[in-house]
Parts: sequence; structure tokens; C-alpha cells
Amino acid sequence: MSIMDKINNLDRRIIYLLAWIFVLYPLIFPLGLPIPISSDARAWHSYVENNIHDGDTVIFAPMYGTSGMPELFPMTVATMKHILEKDVKFVVLSFWTEGPLVFNALLRQVDPADYGKVYGVDWINLGYIPGSETAMGALATSFQNSVANDYVERRPLSDFPIMENIYTATDIDLIISFETGTPGAPEWLRQWNTAYGVNIIVGCIGVSVPGMIPYVTSGQISALMPGLTVSAEYELLLQKPGLAVAGVDAVSTSHLLIVLLVVIGNIAFFMTKEEEK
Amino acid sequence: MKMGEVLKRIEIPIALTIIATLLQVLPYYFDIPALSSVASTTTNAVLLIVAYATFVGVISILLVHGKRVQRRSEGWHFSILVVVFVAIMVLTGLPLQEFGLGTNNSIFNWIFTYILTPLGGTTYSILAFFITSAAVRAFKARNIEAAIVLVSGTLMVMGNAPIFTNSVPVLADISLWIRNIPNMATMRGVMIGAALGAVALAVRTLMGIERGYLRGGGGDE
Repeated sequence: MSIMDKINNLDRRIIYLLAWIFVLYPLIFPLGLPIPISSDARAWHSYVENNIHDGDTVIFAPMYGTSGMPELFPMTVATMKHILEKDVKFVVLSFWTEGPLVFNALLRQVDPADYGKVYGVDWINLGYIPGSETAMGALATSFQNSVANDYVERRPLSDFPIMENIYTATDIDLIISFETGTPGAPEWLRQWNTAYGVNIIVGCIGVSVPGMIPYVTSGQISALMPGLTVSAEYELLLQKPGLAVAGVDAVSTSHLLIVLLVVIGNIAFFMTKEEEK
Repeated sequence: MKMGEVLKRIEIPIALTIIATLLQVLPYYFDIPALSSVASTTTNAVLLIVAYATFVGVISILLVHGKRVQRRSEGWHFSILVVVFVAIMVLTGLPLQEFGLGTNNSIFNWIFTYILTPLGGTTYSILAFFITSAAVRAFKARNIEAAIVLVSGTLMVMGNAPIFTNSVPVLADISLWIRNIPNMATMRGVMIGAALGAVALAVRTLMGIERGYLRGGGGDE
């Protein structure tokens, strides 16, 4: 068997080993490759910076579990830091069971109290709301009827000053949703954007991006954070390099490996074809 | 006819489905307070059902894995782990803060942070290996269609990696164009097609023609 045949029939275990090396090396020995800022990162940063005004009320929704954390957690943390710097009130909630636990993990890195935010006054955590899209629709018509108690102190919503002005979707100015699947952006759009005109910005995993683009170009999603690379760019724009910047070298090297293997694979494919002729 | 036989009639779930569906659809088009109120009550009932279904899920997983352990089925050792961890997570996660339980419980948090989170991340990360292997095998210019996939796919990969976009900035613009024009047009077509299909399915369900959700097809027996 010639070397070209061997490349054509490359054992997948060798590919896995190469992928492992190309991902692991930059995580252990950071390369510090330069990261150009894309239009997506600028759009997200600009939206949070300029379109969220003092006094606004925002829903902050981590709609993912542990499997989505490697890609979505860095952008969730970075956006939370950005929000905390502004004079806005925010309601944390999730329609994913693990969402509140993800937010607990975020609180171990970012404490709203450090930014002068008081629980129950400036922000509240409603936890997991079961019922998927149906629950989204119910929440839009009445927060108080859909959620009995808050997640942190297990007290009725009426006990908290922040809830004095939040009853329905019309009291919310923006939804910031980080998500890996259903329920996610399409459900938010159907129940909150189309019905009540609430603006939505979405952070999603890379594989979800193609499905989000029609909503972005139509203006239904006001800004999109597509995956880890753009998260890293956003962290740089915020001048707060974090988890995404640390991981983006691995994105570069793993993508480099794919391109190299594809190029070598095609060369081998055509050379073998020529030999057969 | 006995009451039990009446309740088994296929017309009852169909009628319930039609009423429940109309209760969700009509308030969207007509502003009738009484109708909206009934719809809201129905929606809240759904939320309760979903919440209670969580308990069914826990019982179901314990029954399934309990039986596997009992019968020493293949991989029963793993079932023991499932049962043990479900029990620990359920007990430590109970919302009884006065007893130190709940999602702030140290055992619950330790399992979430040091077991569940790395395992979830690992499962997702396995994609990197599969995608690399799949790309190498699929991205071969065997014919014109495959060549289009090869070129566009490779450009998208390169456009998403700073190592390429930093040295050749135009790659970012090309990948954005592929994403925002051909991809968007295709996805829009798929979405509109799926939406039309959903409307057709809803109409069939409302008319009682679509019975796939009943008794595995809605037979009268």
C-alpha cells in the first residue's frame, strides 16, 4: 500500500490522537495568538453598551446545562460583567433544569454585590421554570401566576421590591438568552418578541448559528453571539480577558488541523485517482 | 353503555385536544377577557402537569435501573451508580434550606461542580474528534457537489479561527457571506417549509384527522 493509500484510509484513531494533541497543547501552553475582532462581537458589545439604558429591566436566561458550559459559560460570565456595570435591574430565570446551577457557578466568579447590586432590589433569581414554551407563554402574561417563590430565598415574589414593577412581558425591556437548543430563541421569539415586542439577544453554540441567522437578518434577534471565538473577541472588547480568550487558541489549532487534514486528504485522493488511471 | 366504556371512546381525547388547542389559538386573535382567563388557567394547569411529571421521571429512572440491577443485566454496575447518584442528588437537593439541603448544599454542589460539569463538558467535547474525523472523510472533491461542500466548509472553518482570519482577514468576510446569504436563504426555506407543515398538522389535529398522538394511531379497539 502506497503512502497516498495510507493517507486515504487514515485510521480514525490517528485522527483522534492528532485532534487531542492539537486541542490540548495550546490549553497547557497558551500560544497567545492575536484575535481579530469580528462584526458579531462589535454588534453584541455595541448593543449591550448602547441599547440597554439606565433603568431598564432585563431577563438574563442561562438556557443550558453542563454540556453547553465549555462554549457558553465564558460569554455568559462576560455579558453578566457588562450588565453589572450598568444601572439596570435583571431577572435571572431558565427554562432548562440545569440553568440555575449554571448561574450558581457564575455567581462563584462574579458577585453582583461587588457591583453594588442588592438581591431583591436590583436583581432576582426565579430559578428553573418547568413547562418549556408553554411556561414561556404563561410567564409573559403573568410572572406572579407562573412563579410562586424566588429561587434563592424561597419567598413569594411580592416580598421583593424589584417585582413591584414587573408583572408581564411588557415590563421587560430585553431578554439575554444563552442557549444550546429547545426551548430557546424560536420559542422566545414566538412568545415574547412577536406577541409583546420584547427585544432579544442570543448567545448560542456554534452548531446552532446557521439556524439563528434568518432571525438575525430579519431583525427579530437584535444581536447574536455565535460561539467561543466571538466570546473571546467580546472579552477583549470589554478589556476583561477570561475563559474564552484562554480557550480560543485551542479553537485555532483544532481548525488548523482540520484544514491540514482536508488538504492532505484531497491531495492523496487525487494522486491515487491519477495512479489508478 | 358503562361509564368505563364511555371514557374509553376515542372522541373524548380528540374533543379535549380540540378544545385545548382552540383555547391557546383564539385568545391570540380575539381580545375576549373570559376566553383569555380560561386559556391562562389551562396554561397554568399544563405547568403543574409538567412539574409533577418530573417526579414520574425520577420514579421511572429508579424503576428501570433498579430492575437492571435486580436482573444483573449487561452494564448493571453502571445502573447502581445511576441509582445512587439520583438518590443523592434528589435528597441533597430537596428545597429544605432549614435542614441544610437544596442547591446550595455542599454535597449537591460538589457533585454538580466536580462530576456533572466535567462529564457534561467531556461529552460535548467528544464532538471535536468526530467532527475532525468526519471532515477529513466528507470533505473530498469526488464530484462538483462534493467540491462545493469542500470549499464552503473549509472556508467556514478557516473563517472561524483567529489563526487564519488574523493573517488573511478576507476569510472572515467570506465566511460571513456564506453564513448570511446562501445559508440564510436555505435555512429560511427550511423554516418556512417546516412552519407550513406545522400549520397543516395543527389543522389536521383540530379536525380530528391526525390521530398519531392517540393510542399509537387512534384505532378504535
